[in-house]
Amino acid sequence: MSENSVAVELQGIWKRFPGVIANSDINLKVASGTVHAIVGENGAGKSTLMKILYGMQKADEGIISINGKALVFNSPSDAIAAGIGMVHQHFMLADNFTVLENIILGSEPKSGGKLDFAKARKLISDIAAENGLAVNSDVLVSELGVGDRQRIEILKVLYRGAHILILDEPTAVLVPHEVEELFNTLRDLKKQGFTVIFISHKLDEVLSIADEITVIRQGTTVGSVNPHTENVSARVLAEMMVGSELPTPQSVGNTIQDQVVLTVENLGVIAAGGKAIVDGVSFKIRAGEILGIAGVEGNGQAEILNALMGIESATGKVMFQDEDISKKSTRYRRDLGIGFIPEDRQRQALLLGAPLWENRMLGHQTKAPNAKGFWLNPRGAKADTKRIVAEYDVRTPSIDVNASALSGGNQQKLIVGREMSGDPKLLIAAHPTRGVDVGAQAAIWDHIRNARQAGLAVLLISADLDELIGLSDSIKVLLRGKFVADADPATVTPQELGTAMTGAGRAA
Amino acid sequence: MTYLKSHRFIGSAFTAITMLSITRTITSNGDLTSTVTIAQALVFASPIALAGLAGIWAERAGVINIGLEGMMILGTFGAGWAGWQWGAWAGVLAGIIFGAIGGLLLAVAAVTFGVDQIIAGTAINLLALGTTKFLAILLFTNAPGGGQAQSPPIKGKIPVFTLDSIVEPLTALHEKGIFFVSDLAGLVAGLFYNMSLLTIITLLLFIMTSYLLWKTAFGLRLRSAGENPWAADSLGVKVVQYKYAAVVFSGMLAGLGGAYLSIASTIYRNGNTAGRGYIGLATMIFGDWRPGGTAAGAIMFGYIDTLRLIDTGNQNVKGLILLGAIILFTIGAWMLRSSRRNTAIGFLLLGAVMIGAYFSATSFPPEVAQVAPYITTLLVLATASQNLRPPAADGVPYRKGEDH
Repeated sequence: MSENSVAVELQGIWKRFPGVIANSDINLKVASGTVHAIVGENGAGKSTLMKILYGMQKADEGIISINGKALVFNSPSDAIAAGIGMVHQHFMLADNFTVLENIILGSEPKSGGKLDFAKARKLISDIAAENGLAVNSDVLVSELGVGDRQRIEILKVLYRGAHILILDEPTAVLVPHEVEELFNTLRDLKKQGFTVIFISHKLDEVLSIADEITVIRQGTTVGSVNPHTENVSARVLAEMMVGSELPTPQSVGNTIQDQVVLTVENLGVIAAGGKAIVDGVSFKIRAGEILGIAGVEGNGQAEILNALMGIESATGKVMFQDEDISKKSTRYRRDLGIGFIPEDRQRQALLLGAPLWENRMLGHQTKAPNAKGFWLNPRGAKADTKRIVAEYDVRTPSIDVNASALSGGNQQKLIVGREMSGDPKLLIAAHPTRGVDVGAQAAIWDHIRNARQAGLAVLLISADLDELIGLSDSIKVLLRGKFVADADPATVTPQELGTAMTGAGRAA
Repeated sequence: MTYLKSHRFIGSAFTAITMLSITRTITSNGDLTSTVTIAQALVFASPIALAGLAGIWAERAGVINIGLEGMMILGTFGAGWAGWQWGAWAGVLAGIIFGAIGGLLLAVAAVTFGVDQIIAGTAINLLALGTTKFLAILLFTNAPGGGQAQSPPIKGKIPVFTLDSIVEPLTALHEKGIFFVSDLAGLVAGLFYNMSLLTIITLLLFIMTSYLLWKTAFGLRLRSAGENPWAADSLGVKVVQYKYAAVVFSGMLAGLGGAYLSIASTIYRNGNTAGRGYIGLATMIFGDWRPGGTAAGAIMFGYIDTLRLIDTGNQNVKGLILLGAIILFTIGAWMLRSSRRNTAIGFLLLGAVMIGAYFSATSFPPEVAQVAPYITTLLVLATASQNLRPPAADGVPYRKGEDH
């Protein structure tokens, strides 16, 4: 195959779902023997496009050509036959099957009527050896970690003789050294003439691996760049993805009022083993003030949040305005006007199997618009969910789909929208924009800033130090359950803050 | 890997016979391992085993089949209705077909329409019960030898084999009462005494299932529908077709189990299944969704049932209590070694209570034996549940193209 031949060409692809257009007029050319990245925000239509290319969904319009031949895919089998293989974002593996069973499923070697295990084992070890993908084919997948599972997914694809590989957000679940291993594998594959389509929204990674990058925005292709010949930065790509200049989390002006909203005195949380996880923490937040807590994860942040919400028992005193709420229930605290964006959204903030409008009620089920006296008010909740979906740009076909159907970023937008509803006086927020793409991130920052302007007090915990520094009026550094330093967001740099978080030095 | 490993099989058979033998020696109750007991236990075990096997087929493809009881009822009725008119083999065939109809109904509800599988199965149970009662009144009331709740006798017989040349010397050996040897003789003789062709077919179906589901591409695909149908779909496996095939075949097996019951009692009678479909489900769980373990579970149920029913001197149930205590002690001792102390102590205590009961009471009501298999299943579930591997997507509705 020559270097310049086109492995995949998509022309004028359209895909409509009830209520949304997932893809509109997508045009894409992938040269064979290259790594071609497709980047775009959550919900921009990348995954839908790949499902179309893999035959899992049918395009409403458009032409798919593989190696110059126009083809129609009615099922993944057709795509597999055309030499296309897909590594899904959520692994498609049966946990109770062995590695071997997972790999051969659907195209099993047979002798007579029987499965030929010996031949399968040989085939797999040959492919694994050729591509440096070491696996033990007889262990159960349930015993394997994420990196191994991904290798199995790649083997599955190679086993089927694919020469075009689609990887849907392959690095989302990997730790850094696993990402490096994956990239080495991909470079090897490229050398052997495989074509790789790489979907991601992590721009640094894309720039390090891709030979060509295509940007998708709101369901359509907006441009391609070649990182080898053109000088592109992650920032330029991000602006192409968002379609406007990239926002920064800067809070401007001083909106701090006199009234103290939250007073915490000598808060302590004891772990099951008797060790103090939170050890005598005190602080005050005034109306219109954003207090940031910086710290490496696991230094007591989660416990402080849970103690403030009354989820975890704690010692010390928590005052909301003039009222001592140390012994009050979570329900009572929420009714006072405390919004809560927890660290683990799927575990603490959502019912994945329930529709969006029911999730809208969650935690606010006693108040309008979700309730009328004793009775719930589904109509009010639905109407308000529509408002949140519109205001916070939650990409969803309808408010009746289950929360599990939304991407992580969109789930987060829904949660932020919910917690900002009903004019809270205090917002306790952990990583409010984690997993959210750049465009939506800016929108969430705007909402928080506007509420601050109107007098909202915010306790902010974030691993994103730019966000923490940009939004906060003041920052405290948490280390092993204690505040060890204060930092002034106007002068501190992320590097200084990072040093303070590890206890190595003192911030400005 | 999935086949019974032969050394393990021989090991557990050896242990089981030893424990039976100890019990038989202490109680001096020859019935426990006699030729007749074993032969009858197989007759009682077979319908349960077929129900369990039916459960394996459906659940391996990811469809929970609570409707087994109903499909068995349909089988008993089909066998009675056709058997009375056209003979026993026609009865078997009709039982299978009626069961298949039940299976098809479940497949349509659960696979095509995604109805909650427990509810769909329960509906089939109720429907089968009502329909067969109604049809019995309609078809059997005025038939010669029939009644409102039972069919006329089934014509003809399914062949039954007895190999005298094996049975007679072994039975004689059994009566000598030698430790282990006599018990083994009784057990082996039981396999050649009044062995029904249907029992042999049941055994062959178990072997066929082990082979088909674990050694062929067909089986791998069918099981993938129960483990991760979305993954299977992404590899071009036609998940819905496999689910349909599995559930309909499940219905056929359950129907055959029902037919076995009617033929064994020579008529169809309302309520003849007496919950054996549910017991079949229990044996399937007991057997970790595998044929070998399921067969063992069914034999346990059949054996206990037999001892309860042929209990002439009121001593069999007492023997069972002792056997249970010995089993508990053995497992408890084994667990102590593998450092699962709390569970082990629980087992030993329970064993001690049973020993106490054995020596303090002269006889036990037969109901004690009736609940024994269920208690055993509960014990298995309580202690082995971490090691059980039900299909990962068992009971989860699947819709093509939908994310999970």
